[in-house]
Amino acid sequence: MRYTSRAILLVAAVALGACTNANRFDDKDAVVLGGAGAGAGDASNPASPAYFQQAVGDRVLFTVDQSRLSEEAKAVLDGQARWLQDNPEYAAIIEGHADEQGTREYNLALGARRANAVHEYLVSRGVAGSRLEVVSYGKERPIEICSDESCYAKNRRAVTVISAGLSG
Amino acid sequence: MHAGHYISGAGHLGLIGWLLWGGGFAPTPEPFEVSEVAVISSEEYAALTTPEPVPQAAPQPAAPSPPEDTDTPPERPTADADAPPARDDPEAAQPGTPDRAPDVSGLQRPAPAEADDSSPQRPAAPPESATLAPDTSDRPTPRPAPRVAPQPVAPPEPDARVDEVRQEERTPDEGADTPAEPQEATAPEAAATEIVTEAEEASAAAPRTSLRPRARPAAPQAVAEAPQDDAADEADPIRAALEEALGGADEPAPSAAQPSDAPAGPPLSQGERDALRVAVQNCWNVGSLSSAALATTVVVGVSMGRDGRPDVGSVRLIGSEGGSGEAVNRAFEAARRAIIVCGSSGYDLPEDKYERWRDIEMTFNPEKMRIK
Amino acid sequence: MMRMILTLLAVLGLLAAPVAAQDGPLRIEITEGVIEPMPVAVPDFVVGDGAAREYASRIARVVADDLSGTGLFREIPREAFISPITSFSSPVQFADWKAINAQALVSGAVEIGQDGRLVVKFRLYDVFAGQELGEGLRFASAPEGWRRMAHKVADAVYTRITGEGPYFDSRVAFVAETGPKNARRKRLAVMDYDGANVRYLTGGDDIVLAPRFSPDGEKILFTSYSSGFPRIYLMDVASLDLRALEEQPGSMSFAPRFGPDGRTVVYSMTRGGTTDIYTLDIDSGTTRRLTRSPSIDTAPSFSPDGTRIVFESDRSGSQQLYIMSLDGGSPERISFGQGRYGTPVWSPRGDLIAFTKQSKGRFHIGVMRLDGSEERLLTASFLDEGPTWSPNGRVIMFTRESQGADGQASLYSVDITGRNLKRMRTETGASDPSWSPLLR
Repeated sequence: MRYTSRAILLVAAVALGACTNANRFDDKDAVVLGGAGAGAGDASNPASPAYFQQAVGDRVLFTVDQSRLSEEAKAVLDGQARWLQDNPEYAAIIEGHADEQGTREYNLALGARRANAVHEYLVSRGVAGSRLEVVSYGKERPIEICSDESCYAKNRRAVTVISAGLSG
Repeated sequence: MHAGHYISGAGHLGLIGWLLWGGGFAPTPEPFEVSEVAVISSEEYAALTTPEPVPQAAPQPAAPSPPEDTDTPPERPTADADAPPARDDPEAAQPGTPDRAPDVSGLQRPAPAEADDSSPQRPAAPPESATLAPDTSDRPTPRPAPRVAPQPVAPPEPDARVDEVRQEERTPDEGADTPAEPQEATAPEAAATEIVTEAEEASAAAPRTSLRPRARPAAPQAVAEAPQDDAADEADPIRAALEEALGGADEPAPSAAQPSDAPAGPPLSQGERDALRVAVQNCWNVGSLSSAALATTVVVGVSMGRDGRPDVGSVRLIGSEGGSGEAVNRAFEAARRAIIVCGSSGYDLPEDKYERWRDIEMTFNPEKMRIK
Repeated sequence: MMRMILTLLAVLGLLAAPVAAQDGPLRIEITEGVIEPMPVAVPDFVVGDGAAREYASRIARVVADDLSGTGLFREIPREAFISPITSFSSPVQFADWKAINAQALVSGAVEIGQDGRLVVKFRLYDVFAGQELGEGLRFASAPEGWRRMAHKVADAVYTRITGEGPYFDSRVAFVAETGPKNARRKRLAVMDYDGANVRYLTGGDDIVLAPRFSPDGEKILFTSYSSGFPRIYLMDVASLDLRALEEQPGSMSFAPRFGPDGRTVVYSMTRGGTTDIYTLDIDSGTTRRLTRSPSIDTAPSFSPDGTRIVFESDRSGSQQLYIMSLDGGSPERISFGQGRYGTPVWSPRGDLIAFTKQSKGRFHIGVMRLDGSEERLLTASFLDEGPTWSPNGRVIMFTRESQGADGQASLYSVDITGRNLKRMRTETGASDPSWSPLLR
């Protein structure tokens, strides 16, 4: 637990921060840092998780009630696969999310479908399945909180979160 | 943005959050207990509450206020006085199910003393119900009905009483009631005979299509009731006669063409019967009945006084259909309340025909009131 | 020819008619009534001895609130009372209660027994009929249990008048929510059905979802992210002992619900992007897979007899409701209306399915028969979901979430007639209610 629940706390705390100053952290999910001290590093360092998040792109978006990967999404995932192959010391958790238009249970399952779509694609691009885990948050963790399509579009996402390796 | 900022920011926010939420992360919630509640028998009750050999004199002088003292004497005998209600105590062991047994016997108990009580109240009841009306469900918005309900008005007596009658023709999907008389509006206005749920009333967005898919084919009923004039009855003598002859009629044909020579006076006109029916309807409140009771038709007998008031003790269950046991009793009680409450100031019935309505059997059929 | 016979019969009939009309009682049929709350008077309970004084009005208050909270009763304000009830055993002055149109009257008394327990007794009267309804009852409990005693009195009154089963002496498990939408903190909580006595069961570190009471009301199933992944857990409500039920690596499990036997759990598990329905025996830990489709099959709920399961599936292309037998056999679709149907819950009476429906951008709570007929939508809003039945199957509680960036979740209840929609008062946001069985 310890690791991920701390991670969740961290996400929560940062998101709370975003609340007090709406633009400061805009559109940047927290990069989860390894408990062992693996730093996010400088985004200018191509081997850092920060680079993965900002330059490669850590997320893909989906259309309403769908888990199909768009061409843009595949392009992003191709980059992710390359990065993961270049940095074998890292593992990743793929988080699937849904927007709030749906029942809780269905959205959990839908988020799982999205995360799984990303998982399968990365594996098909040569990333070892053993380095990847999937989790669905359904509609429990939106990053955008308005009740409009502008927010929903960003919430229907799968985020590849880099973690410190298989030890975790 | 550097990792250090994130970490530091997160740490600070975490700390602030901790303070704000009152250490919410820390608490391991404490186990809690639910108080036990036991149903107790009269013996147990007596044991709990009856003072033991202790001299009774002692507590009484000690009681501070005089009104308390007057209270206590009647309370002392409670141990005894309570004995009757205690009879039921097989349930003592099962607190969860109090009061299962439908005690028909209890319902039949005549209450002779009550006849007196009601008379002073006569003027009070109707206005009371009028003021109560707005309190009831505001959900069913009485909307102005596009069509005017054909109102059977008793032709012979165009006096005040009949006007009060509110009766609407029911078309299957016509939601709202039509108050017949704006100025005479009484309780029924606020009440609904149909349920308009939030889902249905939300104007534009709510899908109206899936409402009550195939609830009730009520239309024929309404049609059947529509012709109410004496003249109209002649249109159907064959059927009426047929039913009579076959003995299957549950209502004697109101044979208007036959001025009876019986001492009872002429039969009630259709208008008079309708007036009575509508008067009882206004008090037949099925709003507090279980779904099972709402599926139960009961036939209730009542004897009437010459003043048009029902003899409370005479209200009795004659038959029922559709429900069983408890549901029948609950349906009967609602019917009884209707008869008594609306009759407490006397029904408007022609006194010269008293023999015709001295005994009445009313069938309360909730089919149209059901929501299923 | 036919016509002639009819005419003949008609003549015969006309001859017979006057006799019948004259001899029998007048017969009328009442087919229309009104639907409104019944006026009920609940005066303060009589105080048997001074020590019980503080409970006299509090108990009457709770009884009156329970009754009027159903929407089936309307409390007559105290100010209208003509004569107070000063003695439990002396005859009731029905005229005084008729005058204020009280149709039902609840009179009661409280005292402290010799063992220190609080003793409550009550009687119920039909005012206009001038008689007692049923037999009075007495309850004893530690004084802290006064609320439960009040609920039991109200239950007895409600049951006696309406014919519905009791439900006030019950609790609701739910998820208490605080914090902004994108960092919401969720804690398991339990409260009395009317919102009193809130207790928190978890600390809020982990996301928790959808608690479900066991049939004996002593345990709660729920979904937690404490492992980092959604998994189902079993908690003992009294001791808070916690046990993970399903820990297969690489899977996520959620939407658990007890079967009527209290040891079978039905839930859904996601593996490789597909979500299927399983049962699990709590004692032995053996699981059984009930559905095998590439679709999302979730939100299962047992029939009260434990032989069937209703669940939602998008196997047809959109979320719809299905019923399947536990013995196997293919699921039968029961929902055919426009829109999407989810979170079906079998009513404790067994006759209805409550569900969440999405249609044209709005959410509804509705009910339908087991064959999908007679669908009725009871609510409509931006987001309603997750119905739960009262123990007697008469009331449905659900989650309603308000729209927008500062949207909040709260609990609402509605009568199955669609009347009496109201919001439950909770000190925090609240979601995912689960109504307990009647307490014992």
